[in-house]
Amino acid sequence: MPTFNWIYTAIFIAVLVGAVLNTVAYLILAERKIAAWVQDRLGPNRVGPWGLLQPIVDGGKMFLKEDVIPAHVDKVFFLLAPMVAFGTAMLAIAVVPVGHTVPPPLPMVSVNPPAYNAPDTPVQRFEAMQKGYADQFSFAIAPGLDIGILYVFAVGSLAVYGVILAGWSANNKYALIGSLRSSAQIISYEIPLGMSILGVVLLAGSLNPERIVANQIDGGMWNVFYMPLAFLLFLTSVFAECNRLPFDLPESEQELVGGYHTEYSSLKLGMLLLAEYAHMITTSFLMSCLFFGGWHLPGLTTTNDSALYGPWGTAIIHAAVLAAKMFCFIALFMVVRWTIPRFRFDQLMSLAWKVMIPLALLNLVCVLLILQFGWPWWSMTVASVVLFVLAGAWGVWSGGNVTAPKRKVRKLPPGLPAGVV
Amino acid sequence: MAVASPVLTPAGLEPAFDLSAYYPALIYIGVIVGLAMAMLAATHVGYFLPFLKPQRPTKVKQMPYESGMDPIGSARMQFDIKFYLIAILFLVFDVELLFLYPWAVIAYAPGGDPHWKNIFGTIVFIEILVFLATLAIAYLYAWRKGVFQWR
Repeated sequence: MPTFNWIYTAIFIAVLVGAVLNTVAYLILAERKIAAWVQDRLGPNRVGPWGLLQPIVDGGKMFLKEDVIPAHVDKVFFLLAPMVAFGTAMLAIAVVPVGHTVPPPLPMVSVNPPAYNAPDTPVQRFEAMQKGYADQFSFAIAPGLDIGILYVFAVGSLAVYGVILAGWSANNKYALIGSLRSSAQIISYEIPLGMSILGVVLLAGSLNPERIVANQIDGGMWNVFYMPLAFLLFLTSVFAECNRLPFDLPESEQELVGGYHTEYSSLKLGMLLLAEYAHMITTSFLMSCLFFGGWHLPGLTTTNDSALYGPWGTAIIHAAVLAAKMFCFIALFMVVRWTIPRFRFDQLMSLAWKVMIPLALLNLVCVLLILQFGWPWWSMTVASVVLFVLAGAWGVWSGGNVTAPKRKVRKLPPGLPAGVV
Repeated sequence: MAVASPVLTPAGLEPAFDLSAYYPALIYIGVIVGLAMAMLAATHVGYFLPFLKPQRPTKVKQMPYESGMDPIGSARMQFDIKFYLIAILFLVFDVELLFLYPWAVIAYAPGGDPHWKNIFGTIVFIEILVFLATLAIAYLYAWRKGVFQWR
């Protein structure tokens, strides 16, 4: 509902927050079930049929556990950190479409506007378009925001404050090292994240996610076919931003116990964990909307669905299609966790600064050239693939020197070094 | 409901800025802050209702957790200068991204005055290439200086 209405907004916020919190609870169960399946175990199966009541028990346990605030922590920041982490993770979903959306009308070109009072002027036609738009219903908390994607990135980059506050205030060496690593990782991967999206913004000419979705549907082609390289960079950056496994240096359990949330307990730990899963949900919705055409699925949904299925059917089908795409990404997140081992920290940094940023920049230049000279759409795909192959070839040619630089090994004098007994 | 009257810009007729589009986001921010505070209050309920959740601080529980060893020294230690360099570089690239966003929105947007686009399109295209080139030079300088080398 682009026209602001208290009641619709309140209902929508209540439903969406409830849905996200419950999805997070069941995602944790799904994560454990998938882990069990990969490792040939049974997984949680005691509480309820197939362990389906496990999330409720887990939530209750998390709430009823003792809340320890150690004596050595910085109390204000220690309490603030889970709030910041939870708040930023939940806030980002405000502009992300979660179902059927209608974009605001495009600007109407009128080189010589006639008098404002004449009948059927461009102004009147545009006002009619605006009225038509205002009567539509959009499945986003704040539809029609022109700053859309910028808001998501602005709120998302605040998440680093939650991490660094948690690590610093805990006054614990594990927590400090974890939070430093995490903040370095998050800010490094934010640059390719923002840069890879620029091509999509150039193509759609808007930061509004609804407009980007509509642009893909009108063009009949999802953005992932135009710019597969941008999608790959975005996906990798999202994995790093969510601290998922190939990039989970901040909380590498085997080295740093729990990373920045070592000293947290009870519901405060719950808030930090919840924030990570909420972040996953938001970014999965975002990827579906930016690169995979939002609610569009060839053969099932078209732009005049409301004539076919009626308004309610349209809303349900479109929300289901988008949710299915979202869950595909979540499944990818969970399967990758058990597929790829963790990076070393210097490899992580090299990947961000020496591989992904130049690739994102070159990808942007390619899209820019293609749009400026009006080359056909498939040249973008070709450019993406060529860039990807060239990057791989350069990696092979340099003998892996870029991501795994050779170190000079200093030869020790014979015998035991001084100090070793 | 009344719709804000459109305004005439170089891009054509556009909807006027309407603050009411931002009200849902502001309400949502309020709801989330309230929810976070409620959860934070709920986790401390053991101070007032000891039968609901235990609240028995002991000396060992209050110590920094270091896998069972007694901690040596303070956790407020010096850390590597590399983190600082990464932060500075991040600032440079992020500000550069901020400059690129408004351009990306307007440069090849559908609609717009063709006359206006003919005049400024080529100029802006060359300008943005120059901008990206200066960025690339700075990037190569940082690489050659070994800033990206994690030692």
